[in-house]
Amino acid sequence: MTSSGILSYLTFVYFLAFVFYLLMMVMGRQVPGRLATYTLLGSFATHTAAIILRWQESYAAGMGRAPFSNLYESLIFFAWTLSLLYLIVEWRTRNKSAGAFITPLIFLAMAYASFSPNISSKIMPLIPALKSNWLITHVITCFLGYAAFGLSFGFSLMYLFKGGDSGDRTASFLRLIPARGILEELNYQMVVIGFLMLTLGIITGSVWAHSAWGSYWSWDPKETWSLITWFVYAAVIHSRLVRGWKGKKIIILCIVGFACVLFTYFGVNYLAGLHSYATN
Amino acid sequence: MEETINERKANPVLKFFGSVKLAIVLLILLAVFSVAGTMIPQKEGAMEFIQGLNPATFNLLDFFGLFDLYHAGWFRLLIGLLALNLVVCSIERFPSAWRRVKARPSVDRSQPFENLPDTLVISTDSGYEEALRISQNLLKKRFRTLRSERKKDRVFFLAEKGSFSHLGVFLVHLSVLVILIGALAGSFFGFEGFVKIAEGETVDSIMPRSGNQSFSPGFEIRCDKFTVEFYDNGSPREYRSAVTFLVGGKEVEKRDILVNHPVTFNGITFYQSTYEKVAGRGLRIKLSKEGGKEDLKPIDAEIGQQIQLPGKEGFFQVLDIRHMGTAPAALVSVETGKGEPTRFWIFENFELIRSRLPEQMIKSPRFDPSAFKPYTFSLLGVQERYATGLQANQDPGVPIVWAGFILIVLGFIVTFFTSQQFVRVLVEKKNNKTVIMVTGSASRNRPALDRDLQRLVEDIRSLLAA
Ligand code: HEM
Repeated sequence: MTSSGILSYLTFVYFLAFVFYLLMMVMGRQVPGRLATYTLLGSFATHTAAIILRWQESYAAGMGRAPFSNLYESLIFFAWTLSLLYLIVEWRTRNKSAGAFITPLIFLAMAYASFSPNISSKIMPLIPALKSNWLITHVITCFLGYAAFGLSFGFSLMYLFKGGDSGDRTASFLRLIPARGILEELNYQMVVIGFLMLTLGIITGSVWAHSAWGSYWSWDPKETWSLITWFVYAAVIHSRLVRGWKGKKIIILCIVGFACVLFTYFGVNYLAGLHSYATN
Repeated sequence: MEETINERKANPVLKFFGSVKLAIVLLILLAVFSVAGTMIPQKEGAMEFIQGLNPATFNLLDFFGLFDLYHAGWFRLLIGLLALNLVVCSIERFPSAWRRVKARPSVDRSQPFENLPDTLVISTDSGYEEALRISQNLLKKRFRTLRSERKKDRVFFLAEKGSFSHLGVFLVHLSVLVILIGALAGSFFGFEGFVKIAEGETVDSIMPRSGNQSFSPGFEIRCDKFTVEFYDNGSPREYRSAVTFLVGGKEVEKRDILVNHPVTFNGITFYQSTYEKVAGRGLRIKLSKEGGKEDLKPIDAEIGQQIQLPGKEGFFQVLDIRHMGTAPAALVSVETGKGEPTRFWIFENFELIRSRLPEQMIKSPRFDPSAFKPYTFSLLGVQERYATGLQANQDPGVPIVWAGFILIVLGFIVTFFTSQQFVRVLVEKKNNKTVIMVTGSASRNRPALDRDLQRLVEDIRSLLAA
């Protein structure tokens, strides 16, 4: 089977993981939780193998290039970084409730990549401008950042779901979600990782643009949107420092930030620009 | 950190320009206006959009510079305010951060050791002096500074490391300023230009992107060869310009310029940007006599090559080859030695061209292929060659910006991945036993400190057992 075949099947495995996480939340039982984690681990391992396989396929086809260069590959990689980061967080916090919020994101990314008629999974050769090690670093750092922001988005949603009363016992769904204070802390950690990675992504991107086009910054829409995202998360980081700004305001700003991430990623293709590789 | 500016001497203006609230407002404003800039077409792209606007709307948008938003004065003012905000805030906060770096808390404190969990307490039969020695050695190895205070039957240790961590934020903020300075330097002292060079040609001037006055960089560039390679599916694999840089006509350096592999010469960097096909120096010409009734053998010629006419009436040569519109054309000059030479343009596919040209042009002798009797010249084809288009830039701000990039990454690492740790150890003689207690505090990343403390306890234990 080709890598893209494996990946399209994986879409359903990720959905299965989501169902298990949801069952765990609704039933408040451990068994579906364990199943969820195993399912996710399994599909993450397969996912990793499929990306490596795709790399080999490109060599076999005589193009020999890293699998991070078109919309399809970037979505697949985004889903991969999301699962990786989520698994690390689950392992570190020993809390599975975020799984119910993150696995749907992974599933959506995989489904969009595999089943959207506008996205080709063909391995295409690289045009000269995209042949650069800076590009590979750029894509890896950006998507690690986007994944961290994705997790921040998940924690923000959980924060809103949790509601004011952290002692609410009526639904196991809410009981399993950590207290708001913990969510804020986790959210902040994700924002910090994301901000660091986005900064690295913008830096590597502009070094790349400088070697390809002679200018490290040209206000191209994709560049600009990544800067907008950067501004928003910089505001998030500083808003913690202002007295009385804890809580909901910051959470809303994080959601706005993730909306900017999505627009940087998908919306910008409707505006013209240099990053046109993402349109095929 | 809460906003704890020293209220006593806070000047309201300084307080405003140094406040984090202003920073947040500015960041959000920059974000919002940048969004506007991606929605309203900018610069060259704005033409079509502008035509659909009514004059009043246009004037309003134009007045606020919204068609070149990122270079508009007020947008730069916002960035300037952010920089000012950073400077004021950093100056205001630096003294207290420096005090925290230098701070030396008192060593002799019992309070932190109250109610420690069992995991941080060792009670052993080993000797008191040995426990002291082991603890001291370990702390010395793992921390930057170590102070101790000896009381009767007990010794307090205070070990510390990572005080520079408080300076990470300043490094981050400073590097934002460095990047802005680099960008400013580029916009004042740099330029963006363009050169187009056909294979075999030498060019000694650069055309700036803005403005139309070309200038000489003080050297010449010759394009020796341009190649483009394709993948099997027809998409391009590589563009490569082999160029030679010359100073005063002397070859100085030969280099290949590829996309993503620019070349710098005398401070100007050349980037592979575009290419096109242009007419070469060679062509194939056919002469016929008396309006085409008698065809002669086609002749291959080059620009400037003197060729004798078949009837020995004189010589002809081609002075210039170029594309007129899309059609290749050549300027022919026939010289008999008597009077002025006869000059006229000939075209490939002349019949087709003629049908497209205006009437008076066809009648002009300058476009008459039979201007020199009894011959009719026709152009069978011209050799083609490539012309490469190179972006030629100079930006003295780039090294500054790169330095800012490196600094900001270092700053992030210091801010987010280091922390100041204080570790306190109390070694106490109690009856026949020795009790060792370990505790500490950290400016950030408490879990890491907890792990370090646990490791310290375990290492002391195993050294005591040995
Ligand atoms: C775009 C520019 C800026 C960037 C990238 C930036 C970045 C950062 C980062 C990464 C932190 C550390 C946050 C943490 O410790 O959790 C920070 C803290 C801070 N920033 Fe900024 N900042 C920027 C602009 C500003 C401005 C304009 C101000 C002006 C008031 C400011 C004031 C502060 C303050 C007061 C802190 C807290 C310092 C402390 O913890 O002692 N920042 N900034």
